[in-house]
Amino acid sequence: MPVLSELAGVGLPDWIDALLRILFIVALMTVNAFGLIYLERKVLARFQARVGPTKTGPIGTLQSIADALKLATKEDVRPTTADRWIFELAPYFVFVPVFLMFIPIPFTQDWVVRDVELGFLYVFGVLGLNIVGVVMAGWGSDNKYALLGGVRAAAQAISYELPMLLVTVGVVMIAANHLLDDGLSTSQALNLNFIADDQRTTPYIILQPLGFAIFMIGILAELHRPPFDLPVAETEVVGGYFVEYSGMRWGMFFLAEYTALFLLVMLAVVVFLGGWNWPFGEDVGLSLQIVLTLGKAGAFIFVMFGTRALIPRLRIDQLMAFSWKVLLPFSIVQVIANAIIMSYGGADWILGLVSLALLVLLIALVSVQMRLKAGAGTTTIRREPARPRMITAQETSSAGASGD
Amino acid sequence: MSAAEAVYYVVAVVAILSALGVVLAGNIVHAAIFFILALGGIAGFYLMLSVEFLALVQLIVYGGAVTILILFALMLTRARERPQALFGKTRPLGVVASLALLAAFIGASVGTDWFEQTPRGDIEPVPFQELGDVIFTVWIVPFILIGILLSIALDGAVLLAVPDEED
Repeated sequence: MPVLSELAGVGLPDWIDALLRILFIVALMTVNAFGLIYLERKVLARFQARVGPTKTGPIGTLQSIADALKLATKEDVRPTTADRWIFELAPYFVFVPVFLMFIPIPFTQDWVVRDVELGFLYVFGVLGLNIVGVVMAGWGSDNKYALLGGVRAAAQAISYELPMLLVTVGVVMIAANHLLDDGLSTSQALNLNFIADDQRTTPYIILQPLGFAIFMIGILAELHRPPFDLPVAETEVVGGYFVEYSGMRWGMFFLAEYTALFLLVMLAVVVFLGGWNWPFGEDVGLSLQIVLTLGKAGAFIFVMFGTRALIPRLRIDQLMAFSWKVLLPFSIVQVIANAIIMSYGGADWILGLVSLALLVLLIALVSVQMRLKAGAGTTTIRREPARPRMITAQETSSAGASGD
Repeated sequence: MSAAEAVYYVVAVVAILSALGVVLAGNIVHAAIFFILALGGIAGFYLMLSVEFLALVQLIVYGGAVTILILFALMLTRARERPQALFGKTRPLGVVASLALLAAFIGASVGTDWFEQTPRGDIEPVPFQELGDVIFTVWIVPFILIGILLSIALDGAVLLAVPDEED
């Protein structure tokens, strides 16, 4: 971000500049979380024919700040049986990787913290570390609901990361192919700046609609947002892995969650919607670039809030089956299809058409399956839950007791 | 001391201390957390050896997935109540084996002429396409063999996890 260093003045030493940038990012993300929480409450309320927060400030806009003040002044409680180190370190393990994700994501053509050549891989690398913190929180709390939530989160994150990474491979293949067409080395194919730049004429959502759909589903799952909110489902695990946290530690989980929401949506915007580019069109100036990026991101965040209001939560076996039996095979087929088309020198529109056909097939399969299940009706309810029973806290405790 | 050296020492200290933590921690879940730190330290070494791609892959594969699976298994076995299970009758054997390995490493690193082998001049990051080219041409047979091995391991895991019909 060159603008920031200009603001900070030329004479400042590097470390002050770096510190200012870090503070700027943390402040920005706090404001972002405040805004998103407020908007989420408003949007959800509208979906449910309510009005949402109205009392605090004009049309309730200060509600998040009031919440933050409450959190900051709240007592920080730790259960006596909790594992002290793991319990207290867990929020940082969640918080820090999410903020590290900021580095390679471009906001406009040259507004990026650092132009990382392997940016794509980097994002997934730090995203994976985030789960460690979640699992630590779940185990460290010494609470069976927290443990269940943590284990669910880990299972879900591992399952949905795979299809996400595979559709990413599909996108990177296209970027590399464009580089090869221009007679360049493929070294920039994982660079998010290049990927966004490459969509000057055609955003990748046109070329990889299936990839985009799977990526968005993966984001919902990675963020534990409905319909994939089993790790934090209040009716099932009373809030999940952070049930024992209070005060600012709980606030850190929340801040990390909304920061991750913003950054992952930004990633999707950069990778599939061309980031700052005007669709199919002209070069635009800096101010319009930032409006375009944030506008696209905002539209997506709105869709995600809407999803929360409209789609009921999955059961855990459905959740796992959907990733391993539906998304994973489809993402593998997508990669293979891309490879075949590209190795025969097929044009870009063929890629788009094949991917669209695969997406239609996926939707058709899922809806047929859902209809069959709905027809079976009561039998699905009466049937004993098959796999997920293995990881209930009750079973672990009884297995442990018989083992001792 | 240059900045690179300082970073190297930080990474090295983190890697070694957390590796010691893996072995010495009484609680097996703590050991697993130290394991993540140790693997992160190794990713740091890769980074300093200018193989950025390998460092990130190390983070994705070990930092994210593998250690999570380890933690997963540990948490579901109530490891918290039985911390002493880490040390058994085979402890002397383990000490001997690890001392032998340590001796071998020290011997190798003392016996190497590091000055001779250090590249001079500017160090460029290793391009990841080069890694890809080499894996899919020169080392294709080991690559396929590892693929087969992993498939067998996966099948075995499924076989073990599926309960018997009689249950």
